[in-house]
Amino acid sequence: MILVQLLINGFITGAVYALVASGFSLIYSTNKFIHFAHGAVIAFSAYILYFLFSVLELYFWFSIVLSIAFASFLGYLMNYVVYNQLRKKNSSVILLIASFGLLILLESIINILFGADVKIIDFIKVSKGLEFLGAIITPLQIFIVFVSVILFVCLYLFMKNTNLGKAMRAVSDNSELAEIIGISSEKIYSWSFIIGSAIAGLAAILIGLEQNLDPTMGSALMIKGFAATIIVGIGNIHGAILGGFILGIIENVGIWYLPSGFKEAIAFVILCSFLIFKPQGILGRKRGAEK
Amino acid sequence: MIVAYFIHLAIIVGIYLILALSLQLALGYTGLVNLGHVAFFAIGAYVSALLTLNEIPFVIALLLAGVISLCFGFFLSLPTNKLKGDYLALATLAFTLVVYAVTLNWTSLTKGPLGLSGIKKPSILGLSFSSNFSFFILTLIIVLIVFFIIKKLVESPFGKVLEATRDNELSARVLGKNTLKLKSIALAVSAFFAGIAGSLYAHYFSYIDPSSFTIIQLIPLLCIVIIGGLASLKGTVIATIILVLLPEPLRFIGFPSSIVGPMRQIIYALILLLILIYKPDGFFGKVELK
Repeated sequence: MILVQLLINGFITGAVYALVASGFSLIYSTNKFIHFAHGAVIAFSAYILYFLFSVLELYFWFSIVLSIAFASFLGYLMNYVVYNQLRKKNSSVILLIASFGLLILLESIINILFGADVKIIDFIKVSKGLEFLGAIITPLQIFIVFVSVILFVCLYLFMKNTNLGKAMRAVSDNSELAEIIGISSEKIYSWSFIIGSAIAGLAAILIGLEQNLDPTMGSALMIKGFAATIIVGIGNIHGAILGGFILGIIENVGIWYLPSGFKEAIAFVILCSFLIFKPQGILGRKRGAEK
Repeated sequence: MIVAYFIHLAIIVGIYLILALSLQLALGYTGLVNLGHVAFFAIGAYVSALLTLNEIPFVIALLLAGVISLCFGFFLSLPTNKLKGDYLALATLAFTLVVYAVTLNWTSLTKGPLGLSGIKKPSILGLSFSSNFSFFILTLIIVLIVFFIIKKLVESPFGKVLEATRDNELSARVLGKNTLKLKSIALAVSAFFAGIAGSLYAHYFSYIDPSSFTIIQLIPLLCIVIIGGLASLKGTVIATIILVLLPEPLRFIGFPSSIVGPMRQIIYALILLLILIYKPDGFFGKVELK
């Protein structure tokens, strides 16, 4: 019974990680650098939801739409103000260090605006869990899984069928060739930030409803999202979703054996081992790490 | 009063100097994007604190802090040696996070979030460094030793090979240099000095807890190394002094202390972004970041 409960918990946390990872992976697939500040976008929009809904007491659905729009805008802005200037230097390390700087910058701004204490978005009251195969699951958790699955289907259809999705895949495969047939890669970079950050906004809402908010939640989530993408191969958007679920389940089953404080460390260890022994991931093509 | 404050600042500058110079060895001279530097600092601080709390003399604790950091640096470098650029950055960043998680959760050893308190001020052969001024002298001596060792190192043939590895690893290998071994040594030596800095930090504040060793601490260090310029020791020294002192006036403007901390981070993060956009090779840099 415990195992079933742990698996279900793992599946639910996995859904959240998969959201983080898919947005992050979408941005990586076209931009080809590690956008750490993605985690801070999640943290910031969760705080915006808290501000709109719990402080200003706006309608819930209205606050949700505004928070997602805010996340998108923040992603766009970072790309426009910082990354666009740095891209000319043609170095993924500069971009990585800059995104790390942005992560700390946003976290500190959250810290100043909202304070370092934890915040709670009190939307769904704690309700009695439902029994499912002998495990307890709350309605909110069902909602989280439901929303993320819908989003993953939408994302798949979007990448597969729309012109923008196809253009993104083209730039991700080979940006020079894409330029030749008239796809502006600069526009596509921008669009991936807008869409990827919108997914981050959605993740922020689901996380904000289930957990407390604290200013540094972004970096923790970022590492989880990154570990999830590394498991399957970085830049593989659909794989990232799978990776998210795998990570969630490993973490939750892992605390069966380890003290719960080490739950955080599991993701780091997975991240390190994959980076070192299999940097292309379980599904990825062999390229990247040792180029 | 004001003199005591300046001595305090000078000690902080000294500790940062050791950290920045050693990071310069890895990042500037060898081209390793090492985001694990704070972890070595933490390891040094904890090793030294735990040893002296168990009545081991300061000198031995100081050296062991360096040596154990060196071992960690060496072991970290073995698997990550072949990783390039951003992959190396991530692996070393994950290392920082693992060390942070361990200091937070291994409560029987590190007391977790409570931290270790009552770390003694150093004394060497009966000579006590308990006053801040004498501690400053000790820091100054260690900074000078570290500076000259690193200076000699980077000017030696060994240092030149490190730079060759940074500029073009393949060519260096063609010339018969074992670049993997060189990179391991560079990272290990850099970790050694970070451990020494950690030891000084622990003994100066006589209290350490995991919150002093988060990834946030990397930002000022990266700032210093990039602003001073890669592969420039002079630049590093100047940048350390300026950047460590820069946010100090915030204390006197009268912000509450809960704002001053994040403000410092904002200043460093903004400086880092601006320097990356407008002057990515720093003020005295000899090579570009890549």
